[in-house]
Amino acid sequence: MIAFENVSKFYDHNTVLKNITFTVQKGEMAFITGPSGAGKSTLLKLMYMEELPDEGNISIEDIHLSSLKMSEIPLLRRNIGVVFQDFKLINNLTVFDNVALALHIRGVSEREVHSFSSEALKKVGLRHVADSYPKSLSGGEQQRVAIARAIVGGPVVLLADEPTGNLDPDTALDIITLFRELNSQGTTILIATHNRELLKNTVKRLLRLDSGTLTEETVL
Amino acid sequence: MTMSYSFISAFKSLGREKWINILSTLTVASSLLIITLAVFFLYNIELIANHLPERFSMMAYLEDPLSREETRNIIDSLKKRPEVANVKYISRDDALIELKHTLKDSRSLLEGLDENPLTSSIEIKLRREFVTPSSTSRIAEEIRKIPGIDTIYYGERIAEAIHLLKQSVRNISIIIFLTISLGVVFVVYSTVKILFYRKNEEIEIIKLLGATSGFIRTPFLIEGGIIGLSGGILGIVGAFVFYFAVTYRLSTVIPILKTLVFPFEVLIALPFVGIILGVIGSAIAIGRIRL
Ligand SMILES: Nc1ncnc2c1ncn2[C@@H]1O[C@H](COP(=O)(O)OP(=O)(O)OP(=O)(O)O)[C@@H](O)[C@H]1O
Ligand SMILES: [Mg+2]
Repeated sequence: MIAFENVSKFYDHNTVLKNITFTVQKGEMAFITGPSGAGKSTLLKLMYMEELPDEGNISIEDIHLSSLKMSEIPLLRRNIGVVFQDFKLINNLTVFDNVALALHIRGVSEREVHSFSSEALKKVGLRHVADSYPKSLSGGEQQRVAIARAIVGGPVVLLADEPTGNLDPDTALDIITLFRELNSQGTTILIATHNRELLKNTVKRLLRLDSGTLTEETVL
Repeated sequence: MTMSYSFISAFKSLGREKWINILSTLTVASSLLIITLAVFFLYNIELIANHLPERFSMMAYLEDPLSREETRNIIDSLKKRPEVANVKYISRDDALIELKHTLKDSRSLLEGLDENPLTSSIEIKLRREFVTPSSTSRIAEEIRKIPGIDTIYYGERIAEAIHLLKQSVRNISIIIFLTISLGVVFVVYSTVKILFYRKNEEIEIIKLLGATSGFIRTPFLIEGGIIGLSGGILGIVGAFVFYFAVTYRLSTVIPILKTLVFPFEVLIALPFVGIILGVIGSAIAIGRIRL
């Protein structure tokens, strides 16, 4: 479960998020939409603690983030899979090693690292580029590597920031199908996107963010 | 298992930044070699200094006249003292013979003598550990009080000089060791700092993926340790080259070099010293990691 309670975030007196309150239940799949600069990425960053809120409380799986000690942050992050908007792939590691890194960080044994990483790459359709370096891949392929890395550790919560931004409609649909599958296995998923096409018939729940204010949209 | 991953990424990173690492390994090696050579010279000076006390002696001049019995008693009481290694009685007649022998080329000096002007004496050698300025003066003071002993002479200066020499050798060793160790730490510090900055972006990503500070830090500590270790091993090689150059090549020209002793225990310590200094340097370079 993800719960925001009166959360505000300022960047140098510029209010990015205004008094945000919402919850996403365990096992739910929700979308956040809104124009560029609305604060979608910022909202996600608060959850994996890349940024800290200036006001309000956030809890994930009933853990109050403000009560976490610095040494406990890694544990939180290992339970959250993040597809970063800018991918954040490591250029001097191969595609395979990028995905495997997420498991090494979790202390997974060498043998399991291998099978889980191959499995994750297969799910995003990139097993054939396992030994390539990110720079030699297309934008859409890089994005799918980022997705494989986010799901490989079997996260409790999956946060995806514009995960289909670089994908053609068909591949985008494949990724959404993959997310659905994970969701049906119990993963809580929150996706930030302004891809209207994507929202059309896949959305269960839609949150709209507009200049820092959050509104719940009714889904038809 | 995470440890093996840390080792793998440490080695990869060492390979990626070959030149920086080779350069700093060579710097560490030559620094450790300097330490070894300093230890070598100071160790030999110390060995010589350790033998110096054996040459140190006190001369106790006896009152005149003294019976055989009294002389015996004095010698016995001196022998009983725990500080005394051995004593040698020199009768006035022996002393005169010795003097004549010494002055054999200028015999005229002794021509006018019809009576032996010398006194009998006892030469006292102290055990090595008692040849220090404080104990020699104490022992001399006590011996002087023995009835039958007139005066006592000993080289206060010599005891002091030996003491000073050993003290300086020790101080110089410590100073050299500390300065050069500091240098080694600084070299590894700079190297790891560069590696750390170059990987800054990667580290920021790894943090967001849930890495602990230990996971981030360990490969760098290993890298620092490996630089120190390789420096230490290279240092051993350098020291051997030096040793054989001195004992086989130079000693044919300068024979006294053959008597030099090489402290091989120091060599075994080099890689460990390297590892410790390397790890310290990289630990300082990484500093505290904010997640
Ligand atoms: N580190 C920062 N320092 C200052 N301002 C920032 C920072 N990060 C974001 N902002 C500002 O916060 C606002 C929201 O940014 P955010 O990235 O959350 O938007 P977004 O909804 O994700 O946009 P997009 O759809 O383009 O990704 C923007 O106006 C941006 O300029
Ligand atoms: Mg964004």
